[in-house]
Amino acid sequence: MIRVGVIGYGTMGQLHSANLKKLPGVELAAVADLDAERRRQAEAALGVKTYEQGEELISDPHIDLVAIAVPTDGHGALLKRAVELDKHVFCEKPLVRTKAECRMVEKLAAKSTKKIGVGHVVRFSPEYAAAREKVLAGSIGRPAVARTFRGGSMFPLGWQDWYADFDRSGGVILDLAIHDIDYLRWCFGEVTRVYAKSTKGLTDERMEHAFVILRFENGVIAHVEGNWANYQGQFYTTLEMAGSKGIVSFDTRHTAPILYTKAGAQGEQANVTLPESPALVSPYEAEIADMIAAIQEGRDPKVTLKDALATTRVALAALESLETGQAVNL
Amino acid sequence: MVRIGIISLAHMHAYSYASAVNRLPNARLVGIYDENPERGKKGAAQFETQFFQDPEELLENVDAVIICSENSFHRKWTELAAKHGKDILCEKPIATTVEDAQAMIKACEEAQVRLQIAFPVRFSTPIMRVKAMLDEGAIGELLAVRGTNRGQMPGGWFIDKELAGGGAVLDHTVHVVDVVRWFTGKEVVSVYAEVDTLLHDVDIDDCGMLCLELEGGIPFTQDPSWSRPKSFHTWGDVTLELVGTKGTIYVDAMAQSLTAYHDGAGKMVTQPYTEDMDLALIADFVDMVETGRSPSITGFDGLQAMAVGLAAYESAKRGQPVLLR
Repeated sequence: MIRVGVIGYGTMGQLHSANLKKLPGVELAAVADLDAERRRQAEAALGVKTYEQGEELISDPHIDLVAIAVPTDGHGALLKRAVELDKHVFCEKPLVRTKAECRMVEKLAAKSTKKIGVGHVVRFSPEYAAAREKVLAGSIGRPAVARTFRGGSMFPLGWQDWYADFDRSGGVILDLAIHDIDYLRWCFGEVTRVYAKSTKGLTDERMEHAFVILRFENGVIAHVEGNWANYQGQFYTTLEMAGSKGIVSFDTRHTAPILYTKAGAQGEQANVTLPESPALVSPYEAEIADMIAAIQEGRDPKVTLKDALATTRVALAALESLETGQAVNL
Repeated sequence: MVRIGIISLAHMHAYSYASAVNRLPNARLVGIYDENPERGKKGAAQFETQFFQDPEELLENVDAVIICSENSFHRKWTELAAKHGKDILCEKPIATTVEDAQAMIKACEEAQVRLQIAFPVRFSTPIMRVKAMLDEGAIGELLAVRGTNRGQMPGGWFIDKELAGGGAVLDHTVHVVDVVRWFTGKEVVSVYAEVDTLLHDVDIDDCGMLCLELEGGIPFTQDPSWSRPKSFHTWGDVTLELVGTKGTIYVDAMAQSLTAYHDGAGKMVTQPYTEDMDLALIADFVDMVETGRSPSITGFDGLQAMAVGLAAYESAKRGQPVLLR
């Protein structure tokens, strides 16, 4: 039995808790959250012990695996504590907020005897995994130009509005576009050069749109785009990988198998159509199940700390490029 | 009746422009000159016009010329046409160097002839509609632009550095940059680009990615890659997404098309039914010649778009952004 403690009972913490509850061989033992109301919710919904401080949960000797789902700037300290106490760790992406924290985590983790996994969930998305398989099978010939888009919906609302605080979240690149940076690394290997531009600072509106241009060691050129708009829309992602012999691509606006249009009340104009792409196992369920299986089987999780460190360093290089206006060589 | 001549059929757009001239009630295709007489004669027969052995003889018999030579010869033909006092529609890119482009602009100014650059995308009906929407403030303040003008590898002289001046990056950057300059009234102030030859067995760049900055700090990316494979359903695309404080507009200039499956073709194809932007471009040019008004798209517009493409090569060489102006 693996006893799990979840730190941070916000959007991701609630999602992971619900998914952990469903897994055999797992006991969701505790939840930590700074907010008393959230702790009450966790107690009521899950019947678990709660802590105010993440550190207290980590110190609980009954906890084997710590899942970290707090705002990004809080990851570093919790990772440090969890690794010091030699716990298994599952950390939400992005791994950490700064380069110094990358170094700190890398150094500490070298001494860990336990499993450390990171929530780069896109590797568990069936459309992304299938596209990668196609590329690896040679379907597009030599890969050359890749493009990704992620966004289209409202600016995210989090606890204390932390997404809006660049120092905490790193904005749309570190929080959102990092998914695609990780995916492209999974497909093409290491990145050698990064250049980025963002709308950060151009408007007081709650929105950010960013472009990241990546050059990979294998030559591939990538265009990564993240969008937090301030208007109501449908979240979507797109992917295109073009090579010497072909293209593989999708756009989730066109691959949703179900379109449900709900009639408005008589006299109302606005009918809302909601696309839905159902799956027997969601990518979030799959990633947490992989983490548990990694511990049970004594193997590495699918997304390793090494992966997450490399991905995070690329995203942080993009932020550095925003700052300096220069390309960053890695 | 505006008398039009065509100098060179080297660029395939010449055929579309010739057809457009023939469809206009107020224009007449007087003749075609081509350095390749075989191609010129064949083209003249196709468009039921005369082939001229001597470009100067053609110039003496027209009011205006359309230049569709290889890019590096644009200057030579423009200067000759200016010498003969004829208005000019020059295929894009205006030239292959800033020096040539400036010389062309100067020659036309001195000869008091009008120079228009062929950016037909400005005459695409969906693109014109977006221009009107932007002018009405549909998206509030513009914050970011993403463009693509990807295509199949054109081959021929397009992959000859001497004749074309550049590959995919020069060929497919100028349309989108021109449209964005027109949409926004803003110039590109910095150019970063990754440029490479990864897709085809050619001695010229066939892919790239530009990350530009417009005046006011607005990020603008453009993908000019020849990344549409032979099996692609059409030649390529022209798309733009404009993100603003009050909304976003996405436009696909080629979206008005049929999807067609035919067992003989072996692939799905799309067949445009959009209004003909080449016809609209030629109609606009003929109107300019007829009425004596200023050109809709100037030599300066051509220079500014080309300069971004050339700066992309410079940036790729340095691995850092290049500042314009």
